[in-house]
Amino acid sequence: MSATTVPGTGPDAGAGHGTGAGIRPATVPRERARHTARRRQLGACAALMTPFFVLLVVVFLVPVGGAVWLSFFSDDQPGLGFGPERTVFAGLRSYRAVLSDPTFLAGLGTTALYCLLYLPLMVLLALVLALLLDSGAVRLRRTAQLALFLPHAVPGLIAAVIWLYLYTPGLSPVVELLGKADISIDFLGVHTVLPSIVNIAMWSNLGYNTVIFYAALQAVPRELTEAALVDGAGPVRTALRIKVPLVRASAVMVAMFTLIWSLQLFTEPMLLSQATPIVGSRYTPNMYIYDAAFTRNNYGLAAAASVVLLAVTVALSYGLSRWSNRTGGAARADEEGTR
Amino acid sequence: MSPSSHEGGIRVPGHRIRRFTRTALTALAALPLLLTAACTGGGATAAGTADGPVHITFWSALRGSQEVVDAYNRSQRRIHVDFQQIPAGNQGGYAKLSNAARAGNAPDVATLEYPQVPGFAIDGVARDITPLVGERLRKKLLPQALALTTFEGRTFSVPLDVEPMVFLYRHDLFSKHDIAVPRTWAQFEAAARKIKRAAPGSRIATFPTDGGTQLSAWAWQAGARWFDTSDGTWTVSMTDEPTRKVAAYWQRLIDRELVFLNSVDTQEGSAQVGRGEVFGKLAGAWDAGGTMSSQPGQKGRWRVAPMPRWDLEHPRVGTHGGSTFAVTKDSRHPKEAMDFIEWQVSSPEALKARLASGISSQYPAATGLVPVARKAMDTSYFAGQDIYSLFRREAGHISGQWKWGPRMTATLRIVQDRLARVGEGQGTVLDALRAGQRATMPDLESLGLNVREGSR
Repeated sequence: MSATTVPGTGPDAGAGHGTGAGIRPATVPRERARHTARRRQLGACAALMTPFFVLLVVVFLVPVGGAVWLSFFSDDQPGLGFGPERTVFAGLRSYRAVLSDPTFLAGLGTTALYCLLYLPLMVLLALVLALLLDSGAVRLRRTAQLALFLPHAVPGLIAAVIWLYLYTPGLSPVVELLGKADISIDFLGVHTVLPSIVNIAMWSNLGYNTVIFYAALQAVPRELTEAALVDGAGPVRTALRIKVPLVRASAVMVAMFTLIWSLQLFTEPMLLSQATPIVGSRYTPNMYIYDAAFTRNNYGLAAAASVVLLAVTVALSYGLSRWSNRTGGAARADEEGTR
Repeated sequence: MSPSSHEGGIRVPGHRIRRFTRTALTALAALPLLLTAACTGGGATAAGTADGPVHITFWSALRGSQEVVDAYNRSQRRIHVDFQQIPAGNQGGYAKLSNAARAGNAPDVATLEYPQVPGFAIDGVARDITPLVGERLRKKLLPQALALTTFEGRTFSVPLDVEPMVFLYRHDLFSKHDIAVPRTWAQFEAAARKIKRAAPGSRIATFPTDGGTQLSAWAWQAGARWFDTSDGTWTVSMTDEPTRKVAAYWQRLIDRELVFLNSVDTQEGSAQVGRGEVFGKLAGAWDAGGTMSSQPGQKGRWRVAPMPRWDLEHPRVGTHGGSTFAVTKDSRHPKEAMDFIEWQVSSPEALKARLASGISSQYPAATGLVPVARKAMDTSYFAGQDIYSLFRREAGHISGQWKWGPRMTATLRIVQDRLARVGEGQGTVLDALRAGQRATMPDLESLGLNVREGSR
């Protein structure tokens, strides 16, 4: 962060300051006044940012540092391992082990598949619901909003328990009803269990993301939609050509948070693994980490897997934001070109 | 982590969040599970005073442990055992023990099943008790049982019971259809075919998709060495020649639908037996008592036969189940702890107290106790068959080459996860074993053990 762009203000605000200083020679008192103003601004900025940095260090950098440290060391015993332990520097051994472990790679694969299913579905459905709410097509808007948001207030574990009940043959009224209609479906089968998990996640998070989109839609200037209306655009056209491009930034954010959340998939499959062996003990990377630490007592391996997962998450998030910036820029250039 | 922690990140279109903040938010959200060892309140050892008894703590999930502890506390005044019932190993008991050991307050005496002994020994939870296991106790124990808890000449736990695998069968159904009880695996397959033909809704037995330990025992019987330690290295060969033979055998029975293919340690498995759809069960000797408790209505219909053999000339069996007692590293009174263990595994009073708590057909590793167990057992369920004499013969046939591996819970879990998929028509028994080996290697390597793959 450079000294000229004052944190807390946008780049446009900073540019205004700069042009003023460059053209006219400033008088001394004015210079001083500006100095004190800037100092005050910096002070406020520091005060406002400190809690963030403290939290960042305490709850993120320190644990990550700890995990990285842990991943490079091991309590080794020579030979078969029955001798006394000594802590040694193990280098990249745990990383090699993680990356050569077919169960970890399979977990990454499962998560990738999950993301491919879940991410587009979530963004699209949340956007459509938000547009419906915003268009006024839905009566009882507040009730609808509350009903959508309510599942998000249910903790993930409870949600998983509820859905597990609905999925389990012999317990579930849904399976029973479908059975009466001669439809036999095993929600916990080899091919159905992943969509079943996606369904739980959709139920939990759809309302939340709808609210994000809805909030963004509220900020769309009314003049624009009115102008579109005057130009003869129907509600669908207005939604697609005016509103959707304007909430693009929110879509990227929803996608990013959904992606990060998906990569850390844990609660739902963990609970389902108690009910069906199709969901194994290392079904997702996070479950692998848990299993490595608490079933295999292999903290070095668990730490290395955590660091790998963190790296993957950061890389994907960075990639997503870069991609959205570039395509966003291209879209803007496009618009300017046609104008 | 749920997305709700990012409420502050809602953006108004047109504004740009600074990259740094965004990265930080990303990073925060990406924060993986904090790997903190959960501390459980453990039984710290209370030091014995000069005039009072020495207190030692004992954790077990075994039924009847409270009765045994009470009998021990009554029998002498020098040592007082404080007992705590804990969940079964795979239901959290082992995690509890590991966490307690990590926190430095493991109980003096812990209960370990055979497959978990090497793991807890390597983790330093089970103490090397070689000098404490006296010659007198050693002589009382079945050598094959003690061999399973001894590595590189060091003993890490003392066996309580050892469970040779047997064939429990429905005598009434076999005679009704005039089918001979199989003595070899070839006869077993032939009988399976006859049973399927005679009673299409029934099968001779179930191949357990949750049966990692049963599959191990069959491989063990055939002479497999999944974990060989003979040259100071863990040689992992879960698909060696004998195992391939066993896997191919069961795969054939599965493919021809000569056996059921589902979990057995579940309501479904129990209901199958209750409805009389299975003609037999392949399990450790303990399951004779298990069947008595779970199927009281089938009294008089069951008998016990030896496990089918590969070679009648050279009878061999594996074991399925059984427990051992270890003194932990945190014990401040290992001698007293060992005294209690010795009494538990070798005194008739201990066995009587344990059997008084309910039906059990466990086979004591201290074979001198067999008459006590036999006397306590009412075998009318098996029409008076002398099942303990059969157990004794079978225990003598336990094959001595077997060693369990250092991370057996995880290894068997992977095998079972895959066997469950075999049940859904994906993969084979051999695939499951191969997956078990592949998933075990990285783990052992990263623990810094000497390890290599024997066969792939």
